[in-house]
Amino acid sequence: MALTKRQRAKILRYGVYLASLAVVVAVGLLVDWHKLGHALFQWKIVKQQFPQIITRAAKNTLVFTFFGFIGGLSLGLMFALMRLSKAKPYRWFAASYIEVFRGIPLLVTLLILGFGIPIATGWHWPNPYMQGCVPLSLVAGAYMAETIRAGIEAVPKGQMEAARSLGMSYPRAMLTIIIPQAFRIIIPPLTNEFVLLIKDTSLISVLGVTDATKDLARFGRDGVNHAANATPLIVAGLVYLAMTLPLTQLVAYMERRTKAANR
Amino acid sequence: MSRKFKVLGAVAAISMALAACGGSSSSSSDTAAALKAPFSTVASGKLTVCSDAPYEPFEFQDAAGKWTGFDMDIMTTVASRYGLSLEVTKQPFDGIWLAPAAKTCDVVASSMTITPERQQNALFSDPYFDADQSLMVRKDDAATYTTLASLSGKTIAVQTGTTGETYAKANATGAKIQSFDDASAMFLALDSKQVDAILQDLPINAYRALQQGGASVVTATFKTGEQYGFGAAKDNTTLITAINDSLKQFKSDGTYDTIYAKYFGAAK
Repeated sequence: MALTKRQRAKILRYGVYLASLAVVVAVGLLVDWHKLGHALFQWKIVKQQFPQIITRAAKNTLVFTFFGFIGGLSLGLMFALMRLSKAKPYRWFAASYIEVFRGIPLLVTLLILGFGIPIATGWHWPNPYMQGCVPLSLVAGAYMAETIRAGIEAVPKGQMEAARSLGMSYPRAMLTIIIPQAFRIIIPPLTNEFVLLIKDTSLISVLGVTDATKDLARFGRDGVNHAANATPLIVAGLVYLAMTLPLTQLVAYMERRTKAANR
Repeated sequence: MSRKFKVLGAVAAISMALAACGGSSSSSSDTAAALKAPFSTVASGKLTVCSDAPYEPFEFQDAAGKWTGFDMDIMTTVASRYGLSLEVTKQPFDGIWLAPAAKTCDVVASSMTITPERQQNALFSDPYFDADQSLMVRKDDAATYTTLASLSGKTIAVQTGTTGETYAKANATGAKIQSFDDASAMFLALDSKQVDAILQDLPINAYRALQQGGASVVTATFKTGEQYGFGAAKDNTTLITAINDSLKQFKSDGTYDTIYAKYFGAAK
C-alpha cells in the first residue's frame, strides 16, 4: 500500500531525528571527555580567573561598550538627521561618513586613528580609553545612523504632516513627535548593535593594554599564557555569554511584544 | 653564549644581504639529494611552520612574497633536506607553542625562547640562537632613557606572552607596562608617542633601529642568557631529532654561518 504524503513526511522527520540522535551519541562516545575537560575546563584554573575577570576585565569591556554606544548613538542620530536633511551638502557629508566607516574594518580604523593620526600630527591620545572608544564610536555611529534613519522613515508620514498642520516647527515635530516613535521601533536593532559592540571591544587590545585596561578577551588570552591551557578562554567566553544572552533574550521578548501589539 | 650581536658591523652586511636576498638557501636543495623524512607531517609533502610573522629579521616575506628571515631560512633548508616544501601559517605569539599539539602545524619557528614553562607543553629543539633583551627609545630620548630606572612613571611596550614581558614586569617596577599583540604595533606605538620605550629581544630592536635610520635607538641591553628553540608537539620526538640533526649539520658545513651573516653581519 502506498504511503500518503503525510505518512512519508512523518517517516522522514523521525528518520532525521534518529540520525541526529545517532550522531550525538557517537560523538559522546568517541570524545575522550577526560582529555577534553583537561584541555578546556580545569576547575583549578577557572577559580584563578576570579575575581579579576569580573572586577577588571568585564568592567573594562563594559566601559568600552558603554562609551562606544553613547558616542555611536549621538553620532548616529546626528548623521541620520543629516542624511534626511533637505540640504544637499549635509546629505553628501553624512552619506560619505557612513560609507567610509561602514566599509573599513574596525581593526583598521583603530590602527589608523590610534597610531596613524598621532604619528602624522605629533598629538597623542590623552588616555587609552579614549584611544579605543573614539574609533569604536565612529564605526558604531555609521551603523546606527542607518538604523535610526530607517526608524524615522518607518514612522507614518501622516505624523509629521499632522504635527506641521498644528503649527509645530519642523525641528520641534521631529524631536517631540517623530524621533520618540522612531526609537520605539528601533529598540530591538539598537540592542543588537549593543551586543555587537560588546564583542567588538575585543579588538581594542590591538592598541596595547596595561593590566588596568585589559578587556575580557585579552584577559582570557593572557590567562592562556599563564596557565598554558585553554580554560581561561572558555571562562571568558562564558562571561561574554552572561552579558549578551540577557540582552538577546530581551530583544526576542520585545519583538514578540511588538508582534502581539500589531496583531 | 657563542655569538654576540654586533650592531655596527651589521649595518653594511644587512643592507648587502637584503639586496642579495634570494635563492641562496633553496639552491642547496638542488645539489644534495633529499633524505627520506623520518617524521610524518600534518600536510603531506610540506613542512608546516607556525610563526608570529612578520617579526624581522627572523620571519617575514620579501617583496616577492617569499618567506625569508633567519628562522625561515633555517626551516626552508631543513624542509628541503627532507624533500619537503615550506608552508607557513601565521599565528599570534601568545600560546603559539600549543599549535603543533593542535595539529595547526608541525613546528613553531618564531624566535621562541626556550623556557621551562613552555617545555611543559612543547618539545624544543637544541638552542639555535642567543638573544638578550634590549631597550629601544625614540632618538630624542636617547640620552634620557638609558636604564629601566630612568623610565619610572613612563610607559614601556612589551609583546604579550613574551619573555620580554616577564622581564619588564620583574625589573621595570616603576614603569607602566603596556602589552601589544605584535612587534609592528609596538613600533607604531613608539613612533606615535603612545609609549616611551620598547623592551624586547635585541635582534628585533636592533634590526628596526637600523632600518629606521636612527629615528629610534637601542640604549640598553640586558643579559638574560635567553636562547631560541624550535618547538614541536610533546610526542613528536622524530621531528625534533631530525631538526637537531639538521642544526648540527648546518653548523658544521657552514650553512648556519651563511644564514647568520645574511641577517646579522659578521658572526662571533
